[in-house]
Amino acid sequence: MKISYLLLLSSVLTSTVAPPAPAKPLSYVGGTMVMQENDETGNTLTVDYTFDPHFALGLYAKRDIGGKEFYTIGPQLNTLIKRWNLPQGQGNIFGMTGAGMARQGSDNQPAAWAALLADYETRRVFLSYEPRLMYARDIETSFWQRAYAGFAPYLANYDELNTWLLIRVDHHPAKKDHFVVTPVLRFFYKTIWLEAGYSSNSHVMVNWTVQF
Amino acid sequence: MRQILLTLVILAGLAGSAFGETIITTVNGMVCAFCATGIEKTFRKQPEVATVKVDLPKKRVVITTKPGNTLGDAKIQEIVTYSGYTMGKIERQK
Repeated sequence: MKISYLLLLSSVLTSTVAPPAPAKPLSYVGGTMVMQENDETGNTLTVDYTFDPHFALGLYAKRDIGGKEFYTIGPQLNTLIKRWNLPQGQGNIFGMTGAGMARQGSDNQPAAWAALLADYETRRVFLSYEPRLMYARDIETSFWQRAYAGFAPYLANYDELNTWLLIRVDHHPAKKDHFVVTPVLRFFYKTIWLEAGYSSNSHVMVNWTVQF
Repeated sequence: MRQILLTLVILAGLAGSAFGETIITTVNGMVCAFCATGIEKTFRKQPEVATVKVDLPKKRVVITTKPGNTLGDAKIQEIVTYSGYTMGKIERQK
């Protein structure tokens, strides 16, 4: 009964997009992306394979901390819902959805999550907003949102190190600290992406993404 | 005189086929290295393509074809669109 319920939930949810994505949740067709996040909300690992210009399928796993401590794992579908290609910038709306299991102690519960990621980026400015819903029955059912705003202090070419200075604001009512602000330093070089920060509730943040 | 002209025409033809073609296309939406990677890799997969160079500040992709090969505008547009971007203008240099 539990398995059939999960399968049904998965099939419904995997028709959409994903959880906190530091980078864009799709790469190029045939590309694999590994994302890892370590911040005040926990540790996340996502592995995605982009099989279509609009879709990537992957695995999402997270250890949540900062409130209830629990684990979530399941397949996730990332979708490019809309893209605006402009001469000097790009805007996107991505969707991310997944379903699987959540575990707290010895308690296992079905879990599902859905998020939207809207971003706008030029060579100089980056803005993003990401609301997210998490359902893990008795373990946690919550709404969470995150925004980034930042700029590139210098303009680098494709084969040079790109640097960004950003502010990240998290609002997660299910955690002990509802509002968290994190100044972030972001670097990327070709297909390697790294960002680090120190949050207002005294947590070191280190996120990285590799595409191959 | 006729022989010289004929030789020049043949040499020009040989030079064209020996060095391939340089195609420069602007890509709307290509603002970061992550974006550019997809476009670069997709062009590199084309059998006609010898080299690909991304110029991020100018939002241009410079493609050199293999000797005797070319890449049509429709194919370039298809690749750019498939990569998730919008093609701007195309320039060709023999």
